[in-house]
Amino acid sequence: MPESIPASLIVDALKDTFREARAALAAEAPARRPPAEPLGWVLSVPDTHQRTVLAALDKERALRVVTCATEDEANAIAAGLYIGGEPYVVMIQHAGLYASVNTLRGVAIDGRVPVLYLIGLLGREKDRDPRDSRHSMVRYCEPLLDTFGVPHARLEGPDDVRLVPEYYRLAWQRRGPAALLVGLETS
Amino acid sequence: MAMKPEDALREIARVRGEAICVPTMTTAPGWRTIAPDDLSVTCVGFMGGASALGLGLALARPERRVLVFDGDGSLLMQLGSLATIAGAAPRNLVHFVFKNAVYHTSGAQAIPGGAGVDFVLMAKGAGYRMACAIADLAELRRRLPELLRAEGPVLVELATTLADATPMTAPGVPFGAQVQALREALLAG
Repeated sequence: MPESIPASLIVDALKDTFREARAALAAEAPARRPPAEPLGWVLSVPDTHQRTVLAALDKERALRVVTCATEDEANAIAAGLYIGGEPYVVMIQHAGLYASVNTLRGVAIDGRVPVLYLIGLLGREKDRDPRDSRHSMVRYCEPLLDTFGVPHARLEGPDDVRLVPEYYRLAWQRRGPAALLVGLETS
Repeated sequence: MAMKPEDALREIARVRGEAICVPTMTTAPGWRTIAPDDLSVTCVGFMGGASALGLGLALARPERRVLVFDGDGSLLMQLGSLATIAGAAPRNLVHFVFKNAVYHTSGAQAIPGGAGVDFVLMAKGAGYRMACAIADLAELRRRLPELLRAEGPVLVELATTLADATPMTAPGVPFGAQVQALREALLAG
């Protein structure tokens, strides 16, 4: 049975992930002096499912949230940050994934820009597998990612936050998209 | 008199210094010819994304100017990016909009609203620090130094004619290869 994940665990996982990413960037570009802040960027179209994470991020000085009008923008901003040598994640909802598949394809797949997506599965029933959901927005999410060849995993409880750095590394290793699906509303 | 896009790009190239440039659609073939260096990346393959791509670059590289060469049809596809850019408030971003009132690449169909669409008003309403329209080449030449020094985000609407080439008639380097080339150049420098 899935469990809700406390926002603080996700924020801490993001910080650890960005610290590791900064170290890798420093090795790649030793001449560059990275900024003291932010540690990393969260590109977000606000997601009901992850609203406690967004609320926690509001209080974080080390992480900077860029609130985007559309998920297309979040993907394009990610490309600019990648080119400029900054670490980032994209935090959206499943509906936003559907709205932005052309940009995901153009930026993360054809453009080979690494992007880790944190995708909220709003409406996901606790007692059903997402692929069997009564709600099409929940049901189609993993098949859509499969169609585009995007590796993905579910965040189904507090122990799964270890997947945040793991999938971030995966996105950067394969220079493409990777996705983590947030199963229940964060707490 | 409306400017030829290539003439406007030549003026910008003359004074851009070390700015990173982001052309898209009909500014792309001309810019490749005028400034064939690796401090540019063309927004190609994700419609309307030039402004947001420029924002990401501007946030990542606050020590450099970032110049976006957007189209009016392209910007309309991601019009919300005006508010996103204003919200992020990058001081180093100059957003040029080449306004020819048509979708040149797909056959010069009129954009919604045609020539009456006022991007200056929209940028000001969204919260850009500065926005202005420039009608001819002499005015662009005169104002460019000030515009490239101004605290951003700045939007400059340029009244232009059609370009000599479009990405359909003169396709360029794939986006992914451009991304890697510019990233390597910036990380090395």
